[in-house]
Amino acid sequence: MTEMTVDWQRVDEVIARWAPKGRAGLLPCLEEVQEITGWLSPEVSRRVAAGLKVPLADVFGVITFYSLLYERPVGRVIVRVCDDVSCFVNGSREVVQACRTYLGIEPGETTPDGMFTLETHPCLGRCERAPFLMVNDEEYGPVRGEDVPRILDAWKERVRSE
Amino acid sequence: MAEPVLLRRVGHVDPTRLEDYLAWGGFEALRRALLRRPESIVDEVKASGLVGRGGAAFPTGVKWEAVARESRTPKYVVCNADESEPGTFKDRVLMEGDPFVLVEAMAIAGHAVGAEEGYIYVRGEYIRAYERIKNAVEEATRAGFLGDHILDSDVSFHVHVYRGAGAYVCGEETALFESIEGKRGQPRQKPPFPTTHGLFGRPTVINNVETLANIPPIVLHGPEWFRSLGPEDAPGPKLYSVSGAVNAPGVYEAPMSVTLRELIEEYAGGVRNGGRVQAVLVGGAAGTFLGPKELDVPMSFSGLRKVGAALGSGAVMVIDEQVDMWEVLLRLARFFAHESCGKCYPCQLGTQRQLEIVRRMASGRIRYQDILRLRDIQATMADASICGLGQTAGNAILSGLRVMGLDVS
Repeated sequence: MTEMTVDWQRVDEVIARWAPKGRAGLLPCLEEVQEITGWLSPEVSRRVAAGLKVPLADVFGVITFYSLLYERPVGRVIVRVCDDVSCFVNGSREVVQACRTYLGIEPGETTPDGMFTLETHPCLGRCERAPFLMVNDEEYGPVRGEDVPRILDAWKERVRSE
Repeated sequence: MAEPVLLRRVGHVDPTRLEDYLAWGGFEALRRALLRRPESIVDEVKASGLVGRGGAAFPTGVKWEAVARESRTPKYVVCNADESEPGTFKDRVLMEGDPFVLVEAMAIAGHAVGAEEGYIYVRGEYIRAYERIKNAVEEATRAGFLGDHILDSDVSFHVHVYRGAGAYVCGEETALFESIEGKRGQPRQKPPFPTTHGLFGRPTVINNVETLANIPPIVLHGPEWFRSLGPEDAPGPKLYSVSGAVNAPGVYEAPMSVTLRELIEEYAGGVRNGGRVQAVLVGGAAGTFLGPKELDVPMSFSGLRKVGAALGSGAVMVIDEQVDMWEVLLRLARFFAHESCGKCYPCQLGTQRQLEIVRRMASGRIRYQDILRLRDIQATMADASICGLGQTAGNAILSGLRVMGLDVS
């Protein structure tokens, strides 16, 4: 998402709601703002810092510490494949491979059209459904490599129709 | 298998409806607790012998008593719902299936220790659990089970729900406080302990989800009943997350006299495809590998200690003979190198060196000197790291090598 298309009004509303909490409102504020903006750009961070009266350097420090907060643009759809012990034992490598083939990118990368980001993830805590796949907020498991194209096709459709 | 205590409502109630919880005896414990003096509740929790279910196994009543004795206010009750130990998913199952029990337990804890505010910190990736908990807090507040003057008593208790943002180390209690306070989630040096200097520097009770779920039943049925549910030295029910190469992975409730073999063969339906156990990782990534000859160990604190392991969070990950153990060890080494927060050097450097060596060994270059180096790194991290992450980061690797026959001790 480019800065041009950011809905600043909604962002400022979120910041205003958390401002009374000050620094203790920083984490939830960043999480909610990111739901609107997709990632936390320098401009977004500056607004949060000013609104919550937290030094900008500390805001950057927090953003870079947590793996669910993004300081760089990411795809509109984030594909997280669990590749931890229980998922590996149940064939997660095949799922990772299917995602790489379908998307044409490596884990950590975003497709050139900005639609998908692929991540391999430490244990997602759904070990009874291994191998497990999470696409944005939706859960899939157990999944096989052959299920991946159908799942991601549906997400393509969903994003295009939004 | 006896009637479950912790899982009795899971799967039988609509977890979004307060009416369902009430119909199953919900908030009866809080109602009774409010009629009693706080000290008597603390005494009861102490007498029950309940110890923390998050991994450290500290006596819950002792924690509560320390905070209750503090005269400084405000005090806080924090629920550690940042379940991120690999292979552990029991807290998620509880939060998704029976969220109101946490709310009730926290209000009881608040009354017992004299706190008027509580925080539940839910793991960032647990989206459904977060929504269920948030809903439960809202519903309970609307019905007067939370808020000012709970059920017309002079007790007030408010709950805030926070969401983590993807950092394993935030499951460490002081790192979790830092995270709520809007900082990088790095652990604090201890002491001082949370009972005197916890959230916002105030006296704080911090308990794991499963620990808290035991509180309403203890208040309702008493410490004697609770002690009758397990072996002498490990009272109460325990949840085990069993996964990996088994036919029926899932969360199972059992007394801590249960053996590892029973969990695998009777509860989780045995090893898949009629196969055989190569190794079992008990306690998650921070835990210890046991071999196929050690399956008759009782899954209690003392039982596991005797074989050099720890119960930890109660995670059981089964590796069968089809799996390449090097790939498993590589993932564990990578996990710690990624999740080390970087605050203290033994862990920051140790987890990196450990990964390099395991990578080298996994590629087929097995050298005696490297195994010695791994032992050295593990000992240094265990002795000198400031939190449990570094202190346990070498356990799985060394015990995995032992199970593979690469023991040099």
